[in-house]
Amino acid sequence: MSAPILSVRDLATSFFTRRGEVQAVRGVSFDVRQGEILGLVGESGSGKSITCMSVLRLLKAGGRIKSGSATFEGTDILSLDEDALSDLRGNRIGVIFQDPMTSLNPTLTVGDQVMEAVRRHRKASAAEARARAIELFELVRIPSAAKRLNSYPHEFSGGMRQRVMIAIALACDPKLLIADEPTTALDVTIQRQILALLKDLQRRLGMSVILITHDLGVIAEVTDRVLVLYGGLVMETAPVRDLFARPAHPYTVGLLGAVPDLRDDTHKRLTPIPGSPPNMLSPPPGCPFTPRCPHAMAQCMAALPPLFGAAHQSRCWLQHPDAPKVDAIHEVAA
Amino acid sequence: MLTYILNRLGMMLVTLWAIVTLTFFLMHAVPGGPFVSERMLAPEIAAALNAKYGLNLPIWEQYLNYLGRILTFDLGPSFKYPGVSINSMIAAGLPVTLQTGLLAVICVVALGVPLGVIAALNRNRWPDTTVMFIATLGVAIPSYVIATVSIYVFALRLGWVPTFGLDDWRGYFLPVFALSGFWISFVSRLTRSSLLETLDQDYMTTARAKGLRKGQILIKHGLRNSLLPVVTVLGPVVANLITGSFVIEQIFALPGIGRQFVLSITNRDYTAIMGITIFYAAVLMLMILIVDLLYVWLDPRIKLTKATA
Repeated sequence: MSAPILSVRDLATSFFTRRGEVQAVRGVSFDVRQGEILGLVGESGSGKSITCMSVLRLLKAGGRIKSGSATFEGTDILSLDEDALSDLRGNRIGVIFQDPMTSLNPTLTVGDQVMEAVRRHRKASAAEARARAIELFELVRIPSAAKRLNSYPHEFSGGMRQRVMIAIALACDPKLLIADEPTTALDVTIQRQILALLKDLQRRLGMSVILITHDLGVIAEVTDRVLVLYGGLVMETAPVRDLFARPAHPYTVGLLGAVPDLRDDTHKRLTPIPGSPPNMLSPPPGCPFTPRCPHAMAQCMAALPPLFGAAHQSRCWLQHPDAPKVDAIHEVAA
Repeated sequence: MLTYILNRLGMMLVTLWAIVTLTFFLMHAVPGGPFVSERMLAPEIAAALNAKYGLNLPIWEQYLNYLGRILTFDLGPSFKYPGVSINSMIAAGLPVTLQTGLLAVICVVALGVPLGVIAALNRNRWPDTTVMFIATLGVAIPSYVIATVSIYVFALRLGWVPTFGLDDWRGYFLPVFALSGFWISFVSRLTRSSLLETLDQDYMTTARAKGLRKGQILIKHGLRNSLLPVVTVLGPVVANLITGSFVIEQIFALPGIGRQFVLSITNRDYTAIMGITIFYAAVLMLMILIVDLLYVWLDPRIKLTKATA
């Protein structure tokens, strides 16, 4: 197994607001290996986007990284100065955002927006940048690439705009691509096309991808390994097949129970997870999932469980050797 | 593009005609006339004067005569100053007004926009609060107060600049300052709020994620998108400043057209009122047209259509 391209350790990020400190990420560690697609899954507010935006230090106003490290190709990104960091962004690490409708500048042509990324990181003439932009548009399968360079974002559909975003992210052949809910804002049919494109590009270019999503279907389809986040913590991490076959955390089990299965025609009702995510202004000292967990014990309230396991890790006291045996934990809710 | 501009110019003529008509009849509806003064004229002289200037004709005939004349770009003779035509009156006053006005416009753009940018980039820190404090004062204090106080301080007390007139280049400082003070404040506040809104947009994060340099992000992605509302107000502001201000021209004794306009109203100098009104309206409409054309350049989502104004 190759060495990780990105190593995040004990990352903690908070937003300082008028109402207090919102502890969005509370000590997240993970590795991204060469050429793998790592899925980050969780509800809104679980800290999945903030984790990745912290790695790139692209937090919105009020956000601050409190501790931790993020080592990318041997350098700690979190200790780089702004100049060195901007040399990495868009060059070694590309990013795709959720909403292609708002992520492109409405007043510049899409070609310009691709070319400025090329020219920022490569000593390229205008003509070379243009040629590269055409190449990128062809790569992300935008028809009549050369002609579309001069179009403005509003002249594109949502799916086409997301292709432009991908072209920008890939402008300088990044080693790592961070895709923050790249298909959430798109129609279902377009979602599939974009996912297939991402997966195909990842294979052909041999890059690593962090895919952030709340959609378990997307996770199952394209990722190699999964990180389940909840309340700013990693709850479970496992290779994707393992996660779906043997979920080892009640939260993951709950998530899987809330997904409809089209192959199932028994008209089983979906099982939502009762309750709502924790208030991150004052997160509980114990496991943040305790109030919603069907297996909650006194211990869960008292102390935060560590991550148990090796390749398949779960932050649940049930995994403790002395824990009572619960038969149903792997059962995707009744 | 060209058809659009021609269309707009056509519309402007129609609008001008409406303004001419309205002003003409409103003006004649006001009691008094150019030859009414405390010292009564002999009825024969008054009748002769009225006949000379065509004021004895029925009002609709006067109106048609006037329309016919302005079609040849002749704004007529002044009723108050014998031998002076309105064309020459505007030609004499305009350079003065234009000079101070354009300098004021330059100040508004060159100070208002950067101050707003500095404030936005330092949101809630001291540069922001300082700029916004001064800008609030600038918006609140009327120009004649700025003018008189600055004459007292800079001309009378410190003696740095003359109290009136434009004979010396230093004479421009105070009138330009008094003219532009309000608009600098206004534009800096507008730039600040507009830029803050833009900085919060998703595409600004995209620009940062591309690794672009700070200056490039600010100017190429930030400023351009936040200048739209600023350009919108700049059109009327430019029209306003280059057509002069009665108060400022009066205080600094500048022989501009702003002053002439107000004097012509009290004098009932019919042709002067008409001429300067037409001139002001034309400048304003031209500025608005330029703003509309600038929109298209700034924001490609805005399309020019034949359906106009």
